[in-house]
Amino acid sequence: MTSTMLPTDPRLFRLPEGDETRPHLLGSFAPESGLYLWPRRRRCPVTRTEVQDVVLGAEGELFAWTFLHVPRMGSISFGDTGGYGVGQIDLPEGVRVQTPLMGTTDDWQIGTRMGMTTFPVGQDDDGNELVTFRFEAIR
Amino acid sequence: MPSKLAREVYVVGVGMHAFNNDAVPTALMADVAGTEALADANIEFSEVGALYNGHLGGGIGAGVHIAKEFGLTGIPVTHVENASATGSSAFGEAVHAVGGGRVEVAMALGFDDMNRVGGLGRNRGRRMGAEDVMLPAAFFGMWATRRMHDVGTTAETFAAISAKNWNHARANPYAQRRADHVVSVEKVLGSTMISYPHTSMMACASGGGAAAAIVASKEVAERLCEGRPMVRVTASQQRSETYTDGHVFLGAVIGPAQMTRDTAADAYEQAELGPDDLDLVQVHDAFPIEELVYYELLGICGDGEGDRLVAEGATTLGGRIPFSTDGGLTARGHPGGPTGLAQIHETTLQLRQEAGVRQIEGANTGLCHMAGAGSVCVVHILQREPMTRNY
Repeated sequence: MTSTMLPTDPRLFRLPEGDETRPHLLGSFAPESGLYLWPRRRRCPVTRTEVQDVVLGAEGELFAWTFLHVPRMGSISFGDTGGYGVGQIDLPEGVRVQTPLMGTTDDWQIGTRMGMTTFPVGQDDDGNELVTFRFEAIR
Repeated sequence: MPSKLAREVYVVGVGMHAFNNDAVPTALMADVAGTEALADANIEFSEVGALYNGHLGGGIGAGVHIAKEFGLTGIPVTHVENASATGSSAFGEAVHAVGGGRVEVAMALGFDDMNRVGGLGRNRGRRMGAEDVMLPAAFFGMWATRRMHDVGTTAETFAAISAKNWNHARANPYAQRRADHVVSVEKVLGSTMISYPHTSMMACASGGGAAAAIVASKEVAERLCEGRPMVRVTASQQRSETYTDGHVFLGAVIGPAQMTRDTAADAYEQAELGPDDLDLVQVHDAFPIEELVYYELLGICGDGEGDRLVAEGATTLGGRIPFSTDGGLTARGHPGGPTGLAQIHETTLQLRQEAGVRQIEGANTGLCHMAGAGSVCVVHILQREPMTRNY
């Protein structure tokens, strides 16, 4: 059986396609308010008018971050890092994404350019590799 | 538009079971707090017209089930849940039940043991994804690092806020964390780092407890409050999120800061007063970044001036405007159901001049603020009225 990489939640993001090197978040655009939104909405929360499905940019700027030394939900192991980083990333469309971070505290400063990447979290019952997303500093 | 009360509402009784980490059965703690509130109000449960139970744990119907401890009187009983703001929302429902004329007397009762509650950070069995809700420790850590970047706030300022609240709790018999010595800024800074820049002594205590408040119409309150000051609820406001720049739809613990500013503005308008009129404030200080930001969002000082308030000691007991006078979430503790009601308990004692060594001389007006995941913000303002005559 051939193993395939799958997103943990295909409603939130998709894997790289064609020549792309990074996964992308799946969002909405509300023409009347001009707002981009993530995750996808059924209607604009401000004008309550229709929205269109869009694919959001895979790079943004670090708005805030922290490093946690306490357990989190799920089954992620700290490994040898002693914890994990989380941050808020501002995408060019105006969307702010809250996400785990790859790297160490030396990599993160407010304003750092960050790119979306995948992170393995296990396998499904058919042996496919399940991945979620994280952001990493762009060097 | 702020909500309104059609008639005046008064707090006539408060009660608590000390917050703790001793695995005390929640039903027992609820019974103690409720019974104490009934005794404080000098009424029987049969006089209570509606009961609002704030409770996070226990599953379906658990909040309603607890009413059986007090009596099968057939009154409407409602289970309220709004995360951290559960107790505040239960109190708000009781206030509006009386203020709207539904009943003459209503009771709000909050009880929980967070060591038995699932929820944020406890999604057992799931594969962790970036889409999960962050732990509060992560969310507020990010608030803090952004504040340090924007305003230049230091870890020492965060530690000073937490040390203040630990020391306030030393004189509160209902507090979970009661140090037998003065807690220093250095001690707080030196405790275990949990989410930069917050250390373990800056994080709210996790445990159990219960608290209750009974509210009544003016006619009933005048009968019950013989020879003691009457405490009136002059504002009862609750909001949810509105859209702001950088809105986080997925994974946020609480919503935009603007939510607190808007809810407070509603409360000030309803009470017909402003932040300069407050004598004490209780806030959702799960981490010190929150208390610092709420100084500004509640209008106690201008934006970016909260750090100076800390340096001046203005928010310490004895200062210009004491915050978290019972130790706050940091040290009094933060079981979800009763926390908002513990704020009402503390503020009521302060306004009645019954707070012992924590007493703020001449306290006349107090504000209680809670934020709940999802998210909501609840603000109440309580004010003392002149002593009633003895009957």
